[in-house]
Amino acid sequence: MISLTTLRAEAEALARQLPDVSLQAAAADLVHPGAAGRKRAGSGEQFWQYRRYAQTDAADRIDWRRSARGDEFFVRETELETARTILFWNDPHAGFDWAGDPGRETKADRARTIMLALGITLAKDGERIGMIAGSRAPSLGKSAPDKLAEDLVATQSGDLAPPRSQALAVIASDFYDGVDAWRARIAPLASTCRSGVLLAVSDPIEHEFPFVGRTRFSRPGTALDRLFGRAETVRDTYLEKLAAHEEQLQKLAVSMGWTLVRHRTDQTALRGAAALFAALEMLGGKA
Amino acid sequence: MTLGPFLFMAPLTLLGLIALPVIWYILRATPPTPKQEQLPSLRLLEGVDPREETPARTPWWVLLLRLGAAALAILGLAMPIYAPGAQSGDDASGPVLVIVDDGWTSAARWGEIRSAALSAMDGESRDTAAHILLTAPRAIEADPAERLDRVAFEARIRSLEPQAWGIDRAAALERLDESRLQPGRILWLTDGLDPESAGPFAQALIQKAPLSIYAARTRGPVAVTRLSSDATGVQLSAVRAGSSDPSTHFMSALTLDGAALATTDLAFETGQDAATASFSLPPAALSRIARFQVTGSATPGTVWLWDSADRTRRVGLASGDSTAQPLLSDIHYVRKALEPFATISEGELIDLIDENPDAIILTDIGQIDGVTATALNDWIEDGGALIRFAGPRMAGPQAGETGDTLVPAPLRRSSRAIGGTLTWEEPQPLGAFPDASPFAGLTPPGDIRVRQQVLARPGPELARRTWARLADGSPLVTADRRGEGTLVLFHVTAGPDWSDLPYAGVFVDMLRRSIAAGRGEAISDEEGLYSPSLTLNGAGQLTQPSAGATPLRAGDFGVVAPSEEHPPGLYQGPAGTRALNVASEYRAIPVTNWPAAATLLGDTDARTFRLGGLLLSAALIVLCIDLIVALALAGRLPALRRGAAVIAITVIGGALTLPGESLAQFSTFEDEADLDKETAAALDMRFAYIETGDERTDRATKAGLDGLRNVLFRRSSVEPAAPHSVDLETDALDVYPVLFLALPDTPEPFSEAAVSRLNAYMRNGGALFIDTRRGGNVGAGNSFEGLETVLAGLDTPPLAPVPEDHVLTRSYYLLQSFPGRYSNRNLWIEATGAADKTERRGDGVSRLFVGDADYLAAWAVDDRGRPIYSVDGGDLEREMSIRFGINLIMYILTGNYKEDQVHIPALLERLGEDDGVGDFDSDPDGPDGEVIP
Repeated sequence: MISLTTLRAEAEALARQLPDVSLQAAAADLVHPGAAGRKRAGSGEQFWQYRRYAQTDAADRIDWRRSARGDEFFVRETELETARTILFWNDPHAGFDWAGDPGRETKADRARTIMLALGITLAKDGERIGMIAGSRAPSLGKSAPDKLAEDLVATQSGDLAPPRSQALAVIASDFYDGVDAWRARIAPLASTCRSGVLLAVSDPIEHEFPFVGRTRFSRPGTALDRLFGRAETVRDTYLEKLAAHEEQLQKLAVSMGWTLVRHRTDQTALRGAAALFAALEMLGGKA
Repeated sequence: MTLGPFLFMAPLTLLGLIALPVIWYILRATPPTPKQEQLPSLRLLEGVDPREETPARTPWWVLLLRLGAAALAILGLAMPIYAPGAQSGDDASGPVLVIVDDGWTSAARWGEIRSAALSAMDGESRDTAAHILLTAPRAIEADPAERLDRVAFEARIRSLEPQAWGIDRAAALERLDESRLQPGRILWLTDGLDPESAGPFAQALIQKAPLSIYAARTRGPVAVTRLSSDATGVQLSAVRAGSSDPSTHFMSALTLDGAALATTDLAFETGQDAATASFSLPPAALSRIARFQVTGSATPGTVWLWDSADRTRRVGLASGDSTAQPLLSDIHYVRKALEPFATISEGELIDLIDENPDAIILTDIGQIDGVTATALNDWIEDGGALIRFAGPRMAGPQAGETGDTLVPAPLRRSSRAIGGTLTWEEPQPLGAFPDASPFAGLTPPGDIRVRQQVLARPGPELARRTWARLADGSPLVTADRRGEGTLVLFHVTAGPDWSDLPYAGVFVDMLRRSIAAGRGEAISDEEGLYSPSLTLNGAGQLTQPSAGATPLRAGDFGVVAPSEEHPPGLYQGPAGTRALNVASEYRAIPVTNWPAAATLLGDTDARTFRLGGLLLSAALIVLCIDLIVALALAGRLPALRRGAAVIAITVIGGALTLPGESLAQFSTFEDEADLDKETAAALDMRFAYIETGDERTDRATKAGLDGLRNVLFRRSSVEPAAPHSVDLETDALDVYPVLFLALPDTPEPFSEAAVSRLNAYMRNGGALFIDTRRGGNVGAGNSFEGLETVLAGLDTPPLAPVPEDHVLTRSYYLLQSFPGRYSNRNLWIEATGAADKTERRGDGVSRLFVGDADYLAAWAVDDRGRPIYSVDGGDLEREMSIRFGINLIMYILTGNYKEDQVHIPALLERLGEDDGVGDFDSDPDGPDGEVIP
């Protein structure tokens, strides 16, 4: 597994490059980094409403420009703004912490790097970040990325417990356990988190299936193994199955109102981070 | 079993080949091991049934590889032999007799003869007996009737070596007849030479049994048969047999320890069986040659041993000189001139006569007592050459009075000095050599001058007896015959005192020709015994003689043929070494008329080749390849590749680091520490101090010499290397110009050997500086008390304090006194004029300095060049002390050079100039000033 310092350094480098990513213009307009309006009066920057002066209000709260138009006094109120919460989750399955080539990063490490880079960017913008089923509550501020990094490396929980309040969820896995199983796992989460991202990280070998000859396959982390006399004969079947799987995954995300982001470990981490960033911005605009 | 040209020793094994199809079937049926792969997305394939579950086949070429390995192994175990010349069929006819010509003529192709002998039994049945008959005569002959089984036969053949002497076929045939052996078949392995004995021998063999002959005739030169030498070089004759194509070989001249001094061509013309190799070598190189050898040929016949009989003269040297200074004595020039050409012995004259050399050289011996003179006379009458050189003793007043008969012509009483202060004549060059003289033909060099000579009284015989003259006609070398011998007189000294002759190259030639007037090679004792010192073996190498080698009488050389009793080689005897060469006057005639009934085997027929081991190792290699292939098929090779990478990196890394290490070795070799101490001392001028055993004193001495060295480096062109400490008893002293000795407070006496070596060192011109370090004791005077006990027996000349105007006061700086740590102390040197002139002690330059002012401590500096010890009078006195040190070294190195008065006028003139207007400051625009010479 990737070490904490390496993870932090790579994520920092990635995060520094992120603002340079060309964002969708529409999304850029929509997003308001940091705080989101809560559709009610409170402390904030945006104008919300004028209301009649009450006896309990202090005199200096009177909006004199408005009040001068008529005989009544008005008080100006602004919309309540609070920080949003983004929660991350990384699949601890042994098949996810795996790379098809010893020289390549494992899928889990790549997911961690991307998620931490996003976490750093988000924390800079004032969002609250944390782990699903993490030992700590989501936090704000400068120390938040540090905590997130520690949690990303340390947390090995497969539990997808829904958070207490509304949050944006980022779920990283390869989702090879079957779409139905995943639907069942995510459902309780989706009831709390109305929006989220499925980050599907895969290894190029899983897309290419370059095996020939007599081959015994095994799935890491499980006792499952299969012996094929001629591996090349099942390649076409495998690729068909893979395409169907990805389609079902897409459908799952859409059905929950979430977004699916695909990433392969032979692509640059920056590309994955940018895709995730863009997805989050779109969601942020919606929320 | 025979199959074409192949013999199979274990033919039943071939049945194993039937098993090959079975192996094929089994190998096909067994699938290869599956590759292990991990795939996280394996879940996707759940429920997928592969269309073809039959496993991938082992590739056909792997099958072929394994079958090939099996087939090779089976064939190899059948032990096949490739034997194109093998007889098949009538093999149970009786024992096989193998006859081997193992004389020196077989040595060149011994390997082929041996392998032909080894294959003699191939194709015979297992219990056929073998018999061996060797044709080179031995003292103890093996009985050919001895029955050998196959294993013993092979062991015997493998242990056979060619002998260094010739073969005797008739005797061998006799032995065969005596043994009453009835062979079924005869194989004769012969050198193919000497038809006179080969013809009858073959006929006799055919009478007994069917005969096969394998003739391994030497290709190229067979033998070196003759050597002839003259003054300019050496010619060697070589012969070959039965080849008419032109061919070129090389011949080398080797020293006794095998170093090649020269190599020349040995070219055989078309159709010629003899060739000559000519060496033209300088005589000095010729004298070192011990043998000639045809390059690349390892047989006794192609080596020609060269004995000392016809090249070295034995010369005795006797001198009237003392040998205190060997490089200056007359005899040194004679020895150097003769060393390359002659065996020199030195000693008393009477002993020399007993040794009976070819020539005796006497340098300036004035008086020869009666007994010696008589013996000398007898020796000359017998044919010796007496060569005398003149000199002061011969020219002394007593010369001629006693009637010295050992001169070719009567001499005048006094010598003639030419070119001296009171003579009008110039020194004379050499005139042309008279035609009748042995020196005729030599070119007299023009730049030789004779300054002094003894003169012969003119007489009617004088002109005839003169071998060389000066330009004015006075004889320089005269000679006279006495009986068989010759008496030669050089009218000058053998050293350069009287003439430049010893410097000239012509001096060497004159001496050689004078010696040649002696009887030269006059070894007359036919009875003298020569015992073998080095003998040739069958491979043409010089080895220690075997136990069977016996001494040879002098008269037998050239008569007796080499044999086991008298193997060819070098024999040591009363007159040096004599060589016995095996191929002397040998004529190599190839046999062409083989009997028609005999089967002649060609080179290929006579050889067999065992293939079993070869096939088995090939099978092993194929199996190794199969192992790698199997690993690759099972997907295990990546690990292998990484391992290989590690190995490669290690190897490359090692290769890269190795040169680094060797470079480091080179650089450290430059370190002085690694050089031999003597070598280091001889390469660079350096001072040395004598170890006293007292550590503090030695350290101060070393620091003092370091300080002196630093100052010399800075101020003068004397640049000594780091000082050495020497042990008087063991180290070489002569390589140091000066030794320093600082006595410790409680000195240990030196041993007698140490003092005697120190005496020899000083006698040969070394300088010794002794500092007793007693100057600090108030009222101690100039005591040498310590010295007496420490250096008891030191050969001390009379000492005196340094005179006021001594060279030491002006050899570099102008000094008034010689202060050390203590000022106003006296320095003692050899008293001038006290030493006897005849002792020739370095031109009156003092070699011994004794002081007590602790000079070395005053010069001593530490690592950073700071003075260590305090000095009376502070830095000024220290500077004066250092200046004294420089003067001392200059005096030691240059001697009395500064005493030279030539520059006095110039110095006076310069001193007389006005202040500041010296020569060097004169106006450059003005007219040229006077140039000081």
